[in-house]
Amino acid sequence: MSKSDVILKIENLRKLFPAERKLFGKVNLFVHAVDGVSYEIKRGESLALVGESGCGKTTTGKILVGLYEPTSGRVLIEGEDVTPYLIQNKKQVREYLKEMYLDKFKKGETSSTEIDQKMYELYKKLGENESAFINHFMKDRGKKMINLRKKVQMIFQDPYESLNPRMTIYDIVAEPLNIHNIGTIKEREDKVEELLASVGLTPPDSFLFRFPHELSGGQRQRVAIARALILNPTFVVADEPTSMLDVSIRTGIMKLMMKLADEYDMSYLYITHDLAVARYMANKIAVMYLGKIVEMGDIEEVLHNPLHPYTKALLDAVPVPDPEHKRGEPNIKGSVAKPINPPPRCRFYDRCPFATKECEKLPHPELKEVAPNHWVACHVVAGDVKAK
Amino acid sequence: MENRVVLKVENLKMHYKTKRGYVKAVDGISFELGEGESLGIVGESGCGKTSVSMTILRLLPENAEFKGGHIYFDTGNGPIDLVSLPEDEMRKYRWKGISMIFQAAMNSLNPVYKVGDQIIEAIQNHYPDVSIDDAKKKVAELFELVGLDPKRMEQYPHQYSGGMKQRAIIAMALSCDPKVIIADEPTTALDVIVQDRILKEMKKIQQKLNMAMIYISHDIAVIAEVSDKIAVMYAGKFVEFADSVTIFKKPAHPYTYGLMHAFPSVVGPKTELTTIPGEPPNLLDPPKGCRFAPRCPLATKECWEKEPEYREIEPGHWIACHHPLKVGEVVKFDEQK
Repeated sequence: MSKSDVILKIENLRKLFPAERKLFGKVNLFVHAVDGVSYEIKRGESLALVGESGCGKTTTGKILVGLYEPTSGRVLIEGEDVTPYLIQNKKQVREYLKEMYLDKFKKGETSSTEIDQKMYELYKKLGENESAFINHFMKDRGKKMINLRKKVQMIFQDPYESLNPRMTIYDIVAEPLNIHNIGTIKEREDKVEELLASVGLTPPDSFLFRFPHELSGGQRQRVAIARALILNPTFVVADEPTSMLDVSIRTGIMKLMMKLADEYDMSYLYITHDLAVARYMANKIAVMYLGKIVEMGDIEEVLHNPLHPYTKALLDAVPVPDPEHKRGEPNIKGSVAKPINPPPRCRFYDRCPFATKECEKLPHPELKEVAPNHWVACHVVAGDVKAK
Repeated sequence: MENRVVLKVENLKMHYKTKRGYVKAVDGISFELGEGESLGIVGESGCGKTSVSMTILRLLPENAEFKGGHIYFDTGNGPIDLVSLPEDEMRKYRWKGISMIFQAAMNSLNPVYKVGDQIIEAIQNHYPDVSIDDAKKKVAELFELVGLDPKRMEQYPHQYSGGMKQRAIIAMALSCDPKVIIADEPTTALDVIVQDRILKEMKKIQQKLNMAMIYISHDIAVIAEVSDKIAVMYAGKFVEFADSVTIFKKPAHPYTYGLMHAFPSVVGPKTELTTIPGEPPNLLDPPKGCRFAPRCPLATKECWEKEPEYREIEPGHWIACHHPLKVGEVVKFDEQK
């Protein structure tokens, strides 16, 4: 497998938000919004990130487009480490590079993964000079961040808030081209028209000089999609793009997004709370609970054979549009808590109907492959702990 | 099983006056609701489903104009027409007779009052003779009924989670022992697991108190879970009405069919999703004939010109369509239309 086959790879990503404010002294309470999340998306695949509100799915997406800084962890896009550009603070970037690469190189660990090897080659090329290596990443950070944005775009949940009401549709869709200085005005106009046509706003010239308030919700979301795609991104973070839309409009947008994924050869990180929508939009799924991925794998496999008690409860809670259908009782206790300085044990412990005494003592379970392409983070399922 | 009818709505019409003319939000709605029955009204945003409930409770903005119809409510000694009542008489029935669970309930609690006090206020407003202690007792009972710890009466809304606020709102709607409760999107903003619990709770309470319920939602799956009868609303009118099994097993209106097939399924066979082309009509100037005709693949000349009559095609199954679907008929929506 060549390295560009993996479009996105996230390793141990964490994002902590301070949960208290202090004028002096150190903040001790943190919300662990994203707490050690790892996954990868291969070319031609889409991953659905599902979970209840507050589980950290949107935060994960926002880190990838640079709207939040990661607290720790590594993000690779098309085999390139982009973490130094996602972190704003230069001191932290230096620390990150030292910790992630330079310390390892000094110890002689050079080739554990592909990216480490690549970085080591760069290090050697720069004469094994630490400051040259760091400066390589410090130079033109702004430009590199902009280049990163070309590859990763985002579609937001609410089309009523994500479009500037004072800009015309042409201005909105062409803005990325302006920012990246691509094409002449004529070329931009052609490109915008082409995209408006491919998102189903036809004839495009009748939309160019309208304002967002003149469009319906579904049309606005189409504009937002056109704006995200105009730079030919390799992957798009879609944060609940259909949850604000009416049912009869929703399927249209879903089908359009599928069609465009094919046409433009891109992948989605599809963030949703709706398992049924996830099933149609992605071929991989990751179920998140309080900042951790609890189950991950091929979507059909996970939905038909859920193993983690949380995934099972989620599936049992989805209403079925059939009055004669009797579904199971979701087997789950209590309600979602905020992950403020959570104890090291399994995140799901307090709500888990199968939790044993041993679960309380053990740390949060690692994701373990229990079937081909099916990972679960549960002591009981993995067999480390005997079921009750 | 013939139930006593508690609410009967006849040819209800309510339009909003705007600068550009009348928005025909409720345009000839009729239905009957029996004791202990639940009716689900399903439709897209802007189809007028919330306006129906607001018209029944007469909680309308200034630009709303009542255009006719009757709302018969059974008070216990014979039905009375709520439409004919002056405002001060109407107040007697609002909340005591018919109460409502509002959309976005989490925001309908006052943040600076204790939750318990807000419900006590509602009770004392309608029953001025009830002492504070009795009202408190009543609220504690209600809290138990909806699954909240009565100790939480002394807490403020911000100390509640979303699901708990929703339960408090349900307790408030129940506070004056209404005969009918209208629940407008009661679980839309909640997570699935919480939604599941609230829906089950509401169903249990409804059966226990033998109340009539009207559920309003855009989510046909939620409606399917809680309603005995379902009304499908489109552009200010009911287009189909039947018991819920009939609606799902043999939908006769193409719009109902389209709505049902637009829902992706979680574990069932992965079928092709239906997209209904176009958008709901502008209610300022709805199409002359059938309001669904511009989006309907079966529309004929007749549909464009003549409005279909709302008629009973079999006992208890009402429909407004010139070309009702046969059982098992497949409709192909043309997405390019």
